[in-house]
Amino acid sequence: MTTQKQTQGIDFATISMRDALDLAVLIEEEARDRYEELAAQLILHRTPGAAAFFTKMMRVEEVHRKQLFEQRTRNFGNQPSGVSREMIYDVEAPDYDEVRMNMTPRTALEVALRSEVKAHAFFVNALKHVASAEVKKLFEHLCEEEVEHQNLVKAELAKLEPDEPGSGDDFGDDPVAQ
Amino acid sequence: MTAPAVPLQAKDYKSDLKPIWCPGCGDFGVLQGLYRALAAIGRPPHEVAFISGIGCSSRIPGYTTAYGFNSVHGRSLPIAQGVKLANPELLVVVAGGDGDGFSIGGGHVAHAVRRNINITYIVMDNQVYGLTKGQLSPTSPKGLQTVTSPLGSLEEPVNPLLFLLAYGAGFVAQASPADMPGMSALIEEAIRYPGFSFVNIQSPCVTFGEDDQQLKVHKAKMKTLASLGHDPADQLRAMDLARAYGTELYTGVFYRNPNPPLPYEELIKLRIAEESKKARPRNRILDAYLQK
Ligand SMILES: Cc1ncc(C[n+]2csc(CCOP(=O)(O)OP(=O)(O)O)c2C)c(N)n1
Ligand code: SF4
Ligand SMILES: [Mg+2]
Repeated sequence: MTTQKQTQGIDFATISMRDALDLAVLIEEEARDRYEELAAQLILHRTPGAAAFFTKMMRVEEVHRKQLFEQRTRNFGNQPSGVSREMIYDVEAPDYDEVRMNMTPRTALEVALRSEVKAHAFFVNALKHVASAEVKKLFEHLCEEEVEHQNLVKAELAKLEPDEPGSGDDFGDDPVAQ
Repeated sequence: MTAPAVPLQAKDYKSDLKPIWCPGCGDFGVLQGLYRALAAIGRPPHEVAFISGIGCSSRIPGYTTAYGFNSVHGRSLPIAQGVKLANPELLVVVAGGDGDGFSIGGGHVAHAVRRNINITYIVMDNQVYGLTKGQLSPTSPKGLQTVTSPLGSLEEPVNPLLFLLAYGAGFVAQASPADMPGMSALIEEAIRYPGFSFVNIQSPCVTFGEDDQQLKVHKAKMKTLASLGHDPADQLRAMDLARAYGTELYTGVFYRNPNPPLPYEELIKLRIAEESKKARPRNRILDAYLQK
């Protein structure tokens, strides 16, 4: 769970539908980029199972981003946006300290699950302040989607055998002396 | 200084080089915070220079699109001061570890502070030598068992905050990547301070660091100085609060000189202007060498 502020300079009481859509796009984009980064870190540190799962998550987030972006373009064309990537902080993106070298695919799935829970909580909180009926509908829909994603990850988790005791132990000793 | 036509974004400062830090390392968050602070300031990458020494944290220059020099262990501060004096228009950020800054490089800190060149010094304090695989560092807590102190360290740690405050630094702050918005804002404030500024960032080493120094612990433990009602203009109170380093995790600005003196490079400009008024005409230059 994160305790940090997840947005800065966004007023949910007055946010327009266009900016709300842009915010949703940026949240997916941030998550996509983070999964890509985490996958790259784990590949570099010989943790291929977890890396493969994060690569899959990266693709999933990109599909969501695209869908939302298409909706934005359909409704608002290329009107300038009132929100930017600098205004959001790890809304759906896993925190950097969630990963470790040698982490198992199961722990990687647990990271994704926590991130979906975090994103759901974000929209639930935002909804408390939203006034616009249109934005409310969008955020409610996004909340439902986050629950769906949680269920998908849970189903994947259920398919996995429990981790062997000691697997995923952090034997990392990687830095290279200079 | 050039004002960019399109506002700069954090990603504009990110280079194509992928960090080789251990997954989970605190330095990943620090790097993001730096990108965000630079985007907020809006100086294009070619007007920024990152100078570092040696260590995991000192790899930072390579991960930015700014100018960079991953230099010599413990020598980032003298090099950065030289860079800034040679080109005062550059925004110069010095970044490195607790070992780099407070053991081998410790002797340079006092002089960088008293010289007061307008640079920002960011220490990624993980209380250990990460790069060389987990030896005792000057900020390691007393009693810490490491490969170089198997029976536990007998030394008191350096307190970086008190160190800098006692030398008279005009801006001293502490942050943690556990609070990204707070950390990015502090880095930005430090860079904007017109003089030598220092930010100690508690940036956990997940491979060799202690369990009680990880980000999850920070999240539970950290307290902002603002929530304590601290006035950053109060230098004595700042010193008092800084004494809690190692036990409490206070974040925010400990001290900000409310009346910053002119930085060294400005004093030099004034000196040059003053001396040039006294300059001899061309045909009398040699008079300086003639015996009267
Ligand atoms: C002159 C010299 N002495 C020693 C070293 C070995 N050395 C490299 S990095 C380092 C310490 C790194 O610790 P720190 O500055 O805290 O950075 P971290 O890796 O923890 O980020 C040492 C002792 C060196 N490179 N050069
Ligand atoms: S050894 Fe520690 S400081 Fe170095 S990259 Fe790994 S986690 Fe970070
Ligand atoms: Mg260190």
